[in-house]
Order: sequence, then C-alpha cells, then structure tokens
Amino acid sequence: MSSAAYPASPDLLWEITRNNTSFLVKRKTGGGVQLSRDPLNLRNVHSRKHSGAVNKQAIGIVPSEKGGISLLTKRKNGTTVTTSYKPAKTSRKSYHNIVNSTAKKGYRADLRGDAVARASALIRSYRKAVKPTPESTPRGAKAKKDAANAASADL
Amino acid sequence: MTSVPQIQVFSVEGKADSELPLPDVFKAPIRSDIVQTVHAGMAKNKRQAYAVSVKAGHQTSAESWGTGRAVARIPRVSGGGTHRAGQAAFGNMCRSGRMFAPTKVWRRWHVKINLNQKRFATASAIAASASQPLVLSRGHKISSTPSIPLVVSSSSLPELAKTRSAVALLKAVGAYSDVVKVSKSKKLRAGKGKLRGRRHRQRRGPLVIYDPATDGKLLSKAFRNIPGVETCPVSALNLLQLAPGGHLGRFVIWSSDAFKSLDSIYGTSTTPSSTKKDYTLPSAQVTNPDIGRLINSSEIQSVIRAAKGGAKTKRAGGQKKNPLTNKQIQLRLNPYAKGYADAKLGQAKYKEGKPERAAATFSDVLNTA
Repeated sequence: MSSAAYPASPDLLWEITRNNTSFLVKRKTGGGVQLSRDPLNLRNVHSRKHSGAVNKQAIGIVPSEKGGISLLTKRKNGTTVTTSYKPAKTSRKSYHNIVNSTAKKGYRADLRGDAVARASALIRSYRKAVKPTPESTPRGAKAKKDAANAASADL
Repeated sequence: MTSVPQIQVFSVEGKADSELPLPDVFKAPIRSDIVQTVHAGMAKNKRQAYAVSVKAGHQTSAESWGTGRAVARIPRVSGGGTHRAGQAAFGNMCRSGRMFAPTKVWRRWHVKINLNQKRFATASAIAASASQPLVLSRGHKISSTPSIPLVVSSSSLPELAKTRSAVALLKAVGAYSDVVKVSKSKKLRAGKGKLRGRRHRQRRGPLVIYDPATDGKLLSKAFRNIPGVETCPVSALNLLQLAPGGHLGRFVIWSSDAFKSLDSIYGTSTTPSSTKKDYTLPSAQVTNPDIGRLINSSEIQSVIRAAKGGAKTKRAGGQKKNPLTNKQIQLRLNPYAKGYADAKLGQAKYKEGKPERAAATFSDVLNTA
C-alpha cells in the first residue's frame, strides 16, 4: 500500500494522532502510561520519536516463523518492507543484520539501541529454560501436614 | 509541489489500468479541530425531541400540613382510606413526585453550523482520507491495499448489481480485510439502546463514493449487505461518513468518475466550484508544516546567531569518584601508590616469618601472678 497523494508533514500527523489513534493504549496503572500497538514501534511507547505511523522512517522488529526475526522498515511512499532473518547461530549476528541494514546506512540511527534491545528480548524469549525448575520440597508445618495426609491415606 | 500527483486507477479485477490527476480538494488543510466541532454539531441534528409528561408528579391535590404536626412541611396527599393519604408529594425527593428540572421538548436539540465551516470540514476530511498514516490511525486494515487514495475504474461499475461481485471487487483491491475486521467486531450494545433498535455495535468499514449520473444506483444495493461498507454519491458527501466520530481518515474507495468530478464540485486552486456558489477551497496557512525542515533550512540557519555557551560535557560540581577503586584519582591523592603496586609491596610476605613463641617462663609468670 502506498500513498501517492500530497504527504502530510510528520509534525502535523503527530498533532492529529497524539490524543487519539487506534494504536494508542491508555492504562491507568503506572501513572497513566500511554503505550502503542504499532508494529513499527520498537519500544511500544506512544511518543513522537517511536511512532511508526507518523514518522517517514521507522523500524519494527517482530517475530517471524520458526524462531526468526522480521525487520520492518518504511519506504518513502509509506510502504512497509519486511526482511526476515532465520535464527542465527549467535544472537550477535542478528544484531549485525539489523544494524547494518538500518542504523549504519543512516536510517534512523537514533533507534539503533532500541532495535538491538528488542531483537535481543525476542531471541531470549525463544530460548528454552536451561534446566527445569525443581519441584519444591515442603518444609515445616506444610511437610508435617503432607506426611499426616500420606499416613491417613495408607490406613 | 509543482507537479500534480498522478493516482492509479484500478480495474474491478484489481489491476492498475490508467492514471488520474489528484483533485485539488486533497490539498485542503487537515484541520481536526474544525472537523471535530462541525461533526459534534452535525451529529446533533438528527435528534428527536423527548421529555417527561408535563403532568408527571403533579396529578394530586396535595397541600402542606404546615408547622406544628411534627412532620416536614412538604405538600402531603389529602384524604384518608388509602395508603396514599398523608404521603409527601410533588418534590423531586418524594416517591412518585416529579423529577428535578423536568425535561422539556423545547430543549435546543439542533445546532446551526455555518455553511463555509461545513464545507471546510468536508474538504478537510477528504484530504485526510488520502493520508495513509491517518487511515491507519483510524484503525482501517489497509495493508493489502495497493494505493491510498484508492480509485476504482467506473467502466464496469454500472453493471455491479450483485453483492457477490461487490465482495469480489473489495477482495481484488485489498479492501476485504477491513470488512473482515468489521464483521469480527460485532458486539451486543451495552445498555438500553439494545431495546431501541440499536442492538449491536460494530466498526466502520470502507466508504464507497460513486457518481450516480454515470455509475448508477445499482452499486449501492450491491454493497448494502456487506458489514461496515457504506456508499455515498459524490455530490452529497457527508462529514458523518467521511469522519465518523469526528476522527479523520476514513478508508474511501472512489469510483473514477466520482474522483474526476471532485474538481468541478469543490473547484480547483484557479477555478471556483461549479455547484457551490462563490466557493473556493480553503488554503493552508503554512505551506511547509514540517518543523524540522523549517529549522534546518538555510534561510533560517543563515540568520540565527550561534548557540550561547559551549557544549556542556562536564557535570556541574564534578562527580565524586572513589579513590579506592578509581586508580587515577588514587594517584592524584597518593603519587606513591604506583610504585607501591608495581613492587607488589601489598602482597609481600612478612620477612621474618611467624613470630616466635614466648618462652615457657612467660606463661608461668603470667598464670601464677
């Protein structure tokens, strides 16, 4: 999808969508946080810098199939480009891929840290737990109670 | 913006077959404040008067008992032989009394809106419907739509009589995901509206704007049973449809004839409108609203003075550093620290080894005394 009409300025768009947009999530907890559902928003916060719909250039990082990462960027005409990366051997490789195709080319260099952080969080979420958490052994009053229950069950 | 942008026209099968110049109404300033106020007024103009009966709560001959009978001086129903006798009446605090400030049918239900303001709001809403970020922000699903504004060729629209072919058209131009969003959103309305013919709530889908003279009216029948899809003739555009809820950026599907006729209906920057008397489009107060580009422009940068003061890299007051952990600070305080560390004097063993044990007489004297 592209927009061939006169492009409105990002500042104007931000003023229009600042108080009301379908991406905005307002919560009363956390001092009234304002979050964003925009896929092109790296930190999911509703702000001028991180808004993907408003800015001419924006970066998004979303999970792709089989533990990979998809990098979303915006073209000049507003189209979103998706580049998918397969799961890399080391997570550093993924960060390289992301940074080399965005920040190092002068494409939203201000979002470099956020992009790497989001990719890192995503990769971490794919990882399985190293060893299963052991079952807790009851102690004190609870242990006595369990023992009593077991004894009464035997009778 | 010297050249007029060309907008692709899509066939009913969803293929780009020609191009049309963008009408000037899309250049109108996007003013959400005007759209909101006009929408608020227009939304009120369909209201019907309602009020409680003027007699309600006053159909009794109650009179106050006055003082001296140890009850409140509110009017009380006269007579006996029924429970109603002696009960308080009339007051808004009384059971079966009248309400406070009873509603009247002569409330100001409708709002007059200046015609020029209404036209401004409509032009503004049309301009906003061509802005992809605003359409996205309104919540329309347009990721598979080939272009915004979306124009469909009028050539085969007069034969579009069946809902099945209308759905096929929406699918071909990537607008059907918005319809799916609408049908998924259908929910039971909260409150009494359920009993008053407003049983369900749902989102709004695409708005199909056509030219009744050439596209015919069959099309509106084809679209009317698709959830969320509305149709509107281009000669009677309605702000309530172009900006529902006063929110800019409705997803509009134009027929190419309707799109072409916008220039004659709203006029261009050079010619006035042919249908609206003495009407010319509003123009933007600021030609470039991009603040970053304004500030960084050579015109502004060449006349502003240099920034006062240097860049502040040092913290005010200086940061306190711990000399025990920070070697540079430690050296400043104790120049000997380097030699001490290099010679490893801190790790050197005490030369004499362990101290000798005291002679046996020492403990004897100590214990006997």
